[in-house]
Amino acid sequence: MNPLLEQFLSEAREFLQGIGEKLMQLEDAPDDAELMVELFRLVHTLKGNSGLFEFPEMTRVLHAGEDLMDSVRKGRVAYSQALADQLLDAMDFVGLLCDEIDASGHIDASRAADSARLAKDLRALIVLTAEASAAEANLAAAEVPPKVEAATPSQLPLADLPEAVRLEAFRRARDGDAAHWISYKPVEECFFQGDDPFFTARQTPDILWGRIVPREPWPPLAEFDAYRCVLEFQTLTAAPRRELDEHYQYMPDQVDIVPVDPLFFVIPQGNPNGGPVYGDFIDDVLPHLDTGDLDALKQAAQTMLELSNPELWLSSALRWLLLLLDSIPENKMALRTLIESLRTLTPPDWSALQPSVAENSSAEQATHPGVPPQPESSPLSDEDAAAVKSIFAAQRQILSFDDKPSWLQGRLKAVACVLVNCCKVSGDPDAQDEIEKALQQSLEAGSSTPLLTWLEVREEVQAEIEAEATARDEAAGAGRDTIQANKEPPSAPAPEASTPAATAAAEEGPRFGRRAEDTSATASSKSLKVDQVKIDRLMNLIGEMVVSKNALPYLAQRAEDQFGVRELSREIKSQYAVINRIAEEMQDAIMQVRMMPVSFVFQRFPRLVRDISRKLGKEVQLVLEGEETEADKNIIESLADPLIHIVRNSLDHGLETPEVRREKGKPASGTLTIRAAQEGDQVLIEIIDDGKGIDPNIIKRKAYEKGVIDEATMERITDREAVNLVFAAGFSTAEVVSDLSGRGVGMDVVRTAVEKVNGTILLESETGKGTRIRISLPLSMAITKVMIVESDQQSFGVPMDHVVETVRVPCNAIRTIKHSKTTVLRGNIVPLKTLNDLLGLHAEPQANADNEMAVLVVRINGDAVGLIVDDFHETVDVIQKPLNGVLSGLTAYSGSALMGDGSVLMVLNVKEVV
Amino acid sequence: MPIEYKKNQAVFTDITTVEEAEGLLEWLQGKPAAKKVELAACTHMHPANLQVLMATKSRVASWPDDANLRAWLESALKFE
Repeated sequence: MNPLLEQFLSEAREFLQGIGEKLMQLEDAPDDAELMVELFRLVHTLKGNSGLFEFPEMTRVLHAGEDLMDSVRKGRVAYSQALADQLLDAMDFVGLLCDEIDASGHIDASRAADSARLAKDLRALIVLTAEASAAEANLAAAEVPPKVEAATPSQLPLADLPEAVRLEAFRRARDGDAAHWISYKPVEECFFQGDDPFFTARQTPDILWGRIVPREPWPPLAEFDAYRCVLEFQTLTAAPRRELDEHYQYMPDQVDIVPVDPLFFVIPQGNPNGGPVYGDFIDDVLPHLDTGDLDALKQAAQTMLELSNPELWLSSALRWLLLLLDSIPENKMALRTLIESLRTLTPPDWSALQPSVAENSSAEQATHPGVPPQPESSPLSDEDAAAVKSIFAAQRQILSFDDKPSWLQGRLKAVACVLVNCCKVSGDPDAQDEIEKALQQSLEAGSSTPLLTWLEVREEVQAEIEAEATARDEAAGAGRDTIQANKEPPSAPAPEASTPAATAAAEEGPRFGRRAEDTSATASSKSLKVDQVKIDRLMNLIGEMVVSKNALPYLAQRAEDQFGVRELSREIKSQYAVINRIAEEMQDAIMQVRMMPVSFVFQRFPRLVRDISRKLGKEVQLVLEGEETEADKNIIESLADPLIHIVRNSLDHGLETPEVRREKGKPASGTLTIRAAQEGDQVLIEIIDDGKGIDPNIIKRKAYEKGVIDEATMERITDREAVNLVFAAGFSTAEVVSDLSGRGVGMDVVRTAVEKVNGTILLESETGKGTRIRISLPLSMAITKVMIVESDQQSFGVPMDHVVETVRVPCNAIRTIKHSKTTVLRGNIVPLKTLNDLLGLHAEPQANADNEMAVLVVRINGDAVGLIVDDFHETVDVIQKPLNGVLSGLTAYSGSALMGDGSVLMVLNVKEVV
Repeated sequence: MPIEYKKNQAVFTDITTVEEAEGLLEWLQGKPAAKKVELAACTHMHPANLQVLMATKSRVASWPDDANLRAWLESALKFE
């Protein structure tokens, strides 16, 4: 597949997606002109692109869709549900075609009929609505030539065909070929499009007869326009339907292809002289027919024919009679009708016989598979299939004889002939070539092996197809889903492909949705679906790489200090710089792989908001912003539940009902904004509603009642701090009622979820105006910056997010208040805690030479706390690994990390420790 | 030149293209009854030319040697 096509396919899928979305949006806002223009643009571009390739089926449907959208855009046609359905259907079809092209590189010719039907349906919508205005109706009619109902064979001007042609067609049909009448009416302006319809008609496969007729009376020469095509090309062909569809695939709306029952070719013609004399003949032969003495009948007819002038009507009828006797002797009805017609000298009316023809022919096939009316379209009944199978088995037996009689050649030919006919009947005319090739080889080699091989291969294929068919039947329930494989399974020709277009349209049109669904899963696109485990492994590997890379500076140091080779040390360092750069880039690249847009979470909100607001009887307008903001997959996923919770709360408790809102002078419909943005290495997500907000006083009281805060705190805290109490554990679990009922329910769950990924959450609210919740999250959790501290000769990591500052506090500046150590830092009292105590290490903190204590000031929930440690070290980037197994119970540590020198660093979970 | 115009005869050779139709029509518009077309050497005719011949009921002086084309043209250009 060339790159252009590949690109087209991937773009086409995007367009289809876009078209689908736009149609959905239009359902909500049918009058949105901008949306309509956008939609039109999408369809238009897609159509244009499809024109680059040889996919007339696709272009045709899209073109019709484009015309329809154009009419809608210009207001000539109103947007409607039916219209959207039709368009979606068409787009499903296009998607299906895309998949087909992707899989096989081309579109199956049988799609042309579907495509024409869809295009017609789409155009019908234009015409339907445009009827209102006469002028426009004319315009539409000019664009869309009214499609003539597919003619039935009896209406065809078959009598115009020379008898020889009809005899030939009948014989071909008897031998298992198809018979199709094609009426090709090129559009009037086709010459301007560079078409040569005459050439197309001449190239019709397996043509038996053809003629050209004008479609309308010729105008006076002075007014005659040579460049307006008014010709109609009529042809009779013995080619199978599939080939015809393929040949006319660019103009299915301009051709009528009608399968012709061979009996309709039986039209005696000629000089009707000497009518009465024939009465005797009829009286003579009818008893023969009744008694089934066909030989006598034949004899009589032959004698009569020899005696008659070949120009006579009688002779013509007799020739037909002989042919019928030869080919379908068991169809007595037909023979009788033909003989009876001699009385009146009017051609027999085969359409009156049609029902019986149909009945007979199905009965006929079992015994005499010679004249299937439409070999292409007659899937064999079980009975017939069994018969064909047994015929094959018999041929196989014959071929298996290992004697070499002198009549071997004749035997081989006979077998091949039987096989060819059987294949034709079972709808597999293509096999003929293969059989003939095998026959040729057999004749040359003087052995039956090549034919036998062919037979065996075929049986295997057949068995496979059958197995598939049964499996498919079971899966699909109804056999409607006959998939049109490249190699047409002879036992299951697709009914859609062969039934005339008219009947297909008369039935409820085939739907493409299901098939599109089936295949969309396998449709390949540019993106790759990778198991997350694999990415995690990459992540781990790069982590180890970073660690071992970090060992290089140590090595350089050793080279210099221990061995005194400064030169080598420098070289190691420069190598390290290179590896460092690559490793960082690699890390970045892997990070990118894990990045996902927040739209992944956001996309479910429109539906959620719609459903909830409908249920609550509120009018809510959802605004999503910054959907393309990206963050690590884990972060995004961890965000999903808290966000849903918040949104639900906002809808339930934040936004008021339309009546209340109107009373308060706000617009009846509330607005809920969800906004994502990237700020530095943080992702900021805001959920803003313009509802009634949260009253801090009520929160304070509730919190006090629940014992979340004490009286002093209640007096002290600001309103801003108060509203954030909704996140406090214990606050939420209470059955908070009244007007802020449950506003905090589950909010501590939200907080916990956010904090789990090292995020923070903050709530701002203004009574009566609305609430704003800000969640800030790290872009990625993979890399953590930690500060290494030492205590009791052990190293610990403290996440930099928590670290406020590091200070050296003289021992005499540490006071003890009620058994707690504190110190004053720039006028603020900071409580001090010894890390050794917190971790249960029985050692006193070590002061440095100046008798100062190392204090690491961390912030926990907005409060500064000093941790007394022995010493500070550098900060490093580490990849934290969660503690597994028995260690996972240790809440004091958030994880472990490997250091450059190979040691393991335990990272403290500061919140838990303090 | 796929169509060569003589006094009362137009001689078609090989393949006549769509561009010819205009000229052919012009030529035939004057006294179509007196004029004949010579198709023996013609192998394919663009339908625009064909419908000109049909509309003017042109008489055919010689049918194409190409049997297939001849059969088609006879269906269109044999006027009783």
